[in-house]
Amino acid sequence: MAEGTGRGEMLSIWFFVGGLTLVYGLVLLPYGAWEWFFHHEPPTVLNNLHPTFWWGLLMTLFGAFYTLRYRPRPGDINKT
Amino acid sequence: MQSMAALLTTQLTRLTPVDILILVLYFAMVIFIGFYVKGSTNTSEEFFLAGREMSAWVAGLSFVSANLGSLELMGWAGSAYQYGILAMHWYWIGAIPAMLFLGIVMMPFYYISKTHSVPGYLQLRFGEGARGLSAVSFGFMTILMSGVNMYAMALVMKVVLGWNINFSIWVGAITVAVYVMLGGLRSAIINEVLQFVLIWAGAALIPILGLVEAGGWTNLKAQIAHNVGSNDYTHLWSTLGHFRDNPMGVHWTGIVFGLGFVVSFGYWTTDFLVVQRVLSAHNLRAAKMAPVIGAAFKMAVPFIVILPGLICLGLTNHGVPLYHLVGENAVNAAHPYSYNEVLPLMLIRYCGPGLLGLGITALVAGFMSGMAGNVSAFSTVWTYDIYGAFMNKRASDQHYVAMGRWSTIIGMVVSIGTAYLVADAASIMDYVQALFSFFIAPLFGTVILGMLWKRATNAGGFWGLLVGTASSIGMFVYTTFGGPAALSRIAISADARPMAETLYRALWSWIICVVVTVVVSYMTTPKPEAELAGLVYGATPIPDDGAKSLWQKPIFWAIIVITVFFILNIIFF
Repeated sequence: MAEGTGRGEMLSIWFFVGGLTLVYGLVLLPYGAWEWFFHHEPPTVLNNLHPTFWWGLLMTLFGAFYTLRYRPRPGDINKT
Repeated sequence: MQSMAALLTTQLTRLTPVDILILVLYFAMVIFIGFYVKGSTNTSEEFFLAGREMSAWVAGLSFVSANLGSLELMGWAGSAYQYGILAMHWYWIGAIPAMLFLGIVMMPFYYISKTHSVPGYLQLRFGEGARGLSAVSFGFMTILMSGVNMYAMALVMKVVLGWNINFSIWVGAITVAVYVMLGGLRSAIINEVLQFVLIWAGAALIPILGLVEAGGWTNLKAQIAHNVGSNDYTHLWSTLGHFRDNPMGVHWTGIVFGLGFVVSFGYWTTDFLVVQRVLSAHNLRAAKMAPVIGAAFKMAVPFIVILPGLICLGLTNHGVPLYHLVGENAVNAAHPYSYNEVLPLMLIRYCGPGLLGLGITALVAGFMSGMAGNVSAFSTVWTYDIYGAFMNKRASDQHYVAMGRWSTIIGMVVSIGTAYLVADAASIMDYVQALFSFFIAPLFGTVILGMLWKRATNAGGFWGLLVGTASSIGMFVYTTFGGPAALSRIAISADARPMAETLYRALWSWIICVVVTVVVSYMTTPKPEAELAGLVYGATPIPDDGAKSLWQKPIFWAIIVITVFFILNIIFF
């Protein structure tokens, strides 16, 4: 059901949440990998922990789960 | 804040292309959502109350998110640096009991009365006088607060990133106007849920990496004690026995009765900005569950707000405090950063390109959500409780929707004017924020008596609200111009500091409101019980909320939340 976006709509509010976090994850993950593996770490404290890479990975997984779980499917239109 | 901007000659950091990409993606998503939901906002119920079809989770997240603006986040992170863990009270005792009370006790009355707004409930219970007073004051406040949010965002962007103030004000205002005008409350709610996720995504790394750097919570406490020369900054209750024993200069009675009862209950149960989110729930059980869910998430917010302030307070460099932040009036070349810059400073410390963009996006989202929340609530109260109640009572539903869209635009234009007004005189910002406190405590007195006491009359409600509000304004003027002597009388101690004034002023104005309401009610004719059905406890059969199992009962989850609340307070006692 397309929760929160109104009667007759296909996209759920959770799909938007998943979509945005997935896109952010897909931006951060490769950027973090590039920083880590090509030694371009920013001059931040604890950069040796590669937070951009790991945070990007977490957001990708979170976003992918929500995007898939709440993706629009035929017959999903909210009629309530 | 303005003095801070003027003194800082260089910005804190700059965005890289990957940060800008993250920010642009957020703006694109927000505008898309506005256009996407426009087709589902054709009736007044859809535009102003999101069709009353939100689930408990959506309404609950939106409920807590509407209060999670960036002004609040940055301010309380700064307060945590300034006052220590005492700032946590504004998130726990200053929110959780009231949110649960709203869900379990008050929501049935709001919900089954089918009111569109809190002033609307006052009209049903106390007549047009109380509604008019409440609607006009609320409309005025929300529009000013929207402007304050707008200016605060522009100023933060200038200080942190060096952006032009006009650019930030206009881009923020136009974006918010477009998505609220198109999608009404539905747009605002969707964006608030997005903003809630974004704030956690953008800010959670700060406490995680901060605790790693500090060597854990126990080490952090030891470092704070070393830096400030006292253990008082990491105890929630043990220092509240006397005003002079804690950094905030408050007493436990002020925290428990002033903050925990009056201020908190006033804000969370009668401020239409947050109550409107719960009214959008699709049934009574969802409306009762939404504040309970909101309370559970609210308890976790100090992790991303209070902890960064404490980490900043505890960081050392070879045994010397790493940061020395000062009040905004004391910013100078030797101490260039104020308390309010804790969050941006910590963000820059731990987050490089990409993560920095995410953090800045979270702040921008918080500011825009603050504007949208205020403007959407203004639009509802203006259309239903001022325009529809006093100017044009018999217009068509389509007309009211059009009025809602127009009032959104006009509200944003007034907000922009307020933003520039605040930019010219920064002290106005403090007054605008103080204005909110004038109305909230007495309003809570009026609403709670209206819901729980059948004998309260129309005249009692109106005069209680008016005299309570006037007394709050009077006390504010008295303490503002009366100096320490006035403060010591209002807060009943010569050792009280300004923070205590707000708490005791709220308490007194609430008591005055209640006393006046009771006295005037006894002097006037009671309302027939038949007119109180659906509005007052004892005159209203509470309908079954449809919960079949223990897991579906809001009261069960409320007990879980309040138990965790007590455990957390004991742990950090």
